Amino acid sequence: MNKQELHQGIREAFPIALGYLPLGFAFGVLARDAGLSIIQCVSMSALCLTGAGQFIAIGMSKSGGSLIAIILTNILVNLRYALFAASTVPHLKGRLSPTAAAALSYGLTDEVYAVSMNRYRNHQATASYLAGLVFTAHLAWIGSTFAGALLGQFISNTDRLGMNFALPAMYISLLIMLVRRKTDIYAALVAALIALLVGHFIPAAMATNFNIVAATLIGATLGVFLNE
Amino acid sequence: MNDLSIWLMIFGVAVVSLAPRILPVAFFSRREMPPLLEKWLSFVAPAVLGALTAVSILTPAGKIDLSSDNLYIWAFIPTLAVGLKSKSIFLTLFVGILSMAFLYHVIG
Repeated sequence: MNKQELHQGIREAFPIALGYLPLGFAFGVLARDAGLSIIQCVSMSALCLTGAGQFIAIGMSKSGGSLIAIILTNILVNLRYALFAASTVPHLKGRLSPTAAAALSYGLTDEVYAVSMNRYRNHQATASYLAGLVFTAHLAWIGSTFAGALLGQFISNTDRLGMNFALPAMYISLLIMLVRRKTDIYAALVAALIALLVGHFIPAAMATNFNIVAATLIGATLGVFLNE
Repeated sequence: MNDLSIWLMIFGVAVVSLAPRILPVAFFSRREMPPLLEKWLSFVAPAVLGALTAVSILTPAGKIDLSSDNLYIWAFIPTLAVGLKSKSIFLTLFVGILSMAFLYHVIG
């Protein structure tokens, strides 16, 4: 365990944690409202760690969706993580043991992925760094869920604090940092356009984040072709 | 949903959300990755963040909203400017949240 790397991971997780607070809180409130006990709310955030997937599961269960439908939808929602996970492998290989790499990848959310990829541009990956990043972000997600489940009925609107813009702001800054090659800009722009178009014409794709998957596939493919 | 169904839902969602993250890493950590795949994957990060940014700013309520009532578009402008200038996640986040709170009270 490398202490310096661990601290670096924890530090880099702070902006992620800040973005998770209002979301986890909202999840706790809504999950209680959908009939989950406080223990179930916290367990779900501890075991699933999938923002959109959890919101969708709660929404569907409240409107009478079947267990199978909820799971199938979650498969679609979480498909993009397979792409993220695969794309981190060239950075992890030879630096982390295969077991540590696979185990720590459980915590690969959109934000953890983007922050760690940004780090790997100039630094070698380490298990300590990734552990600090993943555990801190996960803890923030669990803690804010607990707060929401517990206090939900007292506090209603975090929008007036501007917290609803925490994740969009985070995406903007990570996008700025992850774009290096000219072809990265094209990949990002095309993906943005495809995500909006697919989401617009297929609302179910928007609701399941499947438009993000489609956009990523097309954007990345275009990047490869333009890079040739 | 009864108590048992809720627990089944939690465990089911856990399996399908964690497996796609763990399995590809476990698989490729022990094998050579084809160079073309590796190159393709290097574009995944910019593509996915382009998509996430566009969707989070332009579809705040799940539908495309290009009207001037969409506060996210207004908050996007100072946030992008500070992000490009500072290259700091923390400062960008701070300005983004502050802009949104300001807009909410002044316009919203």
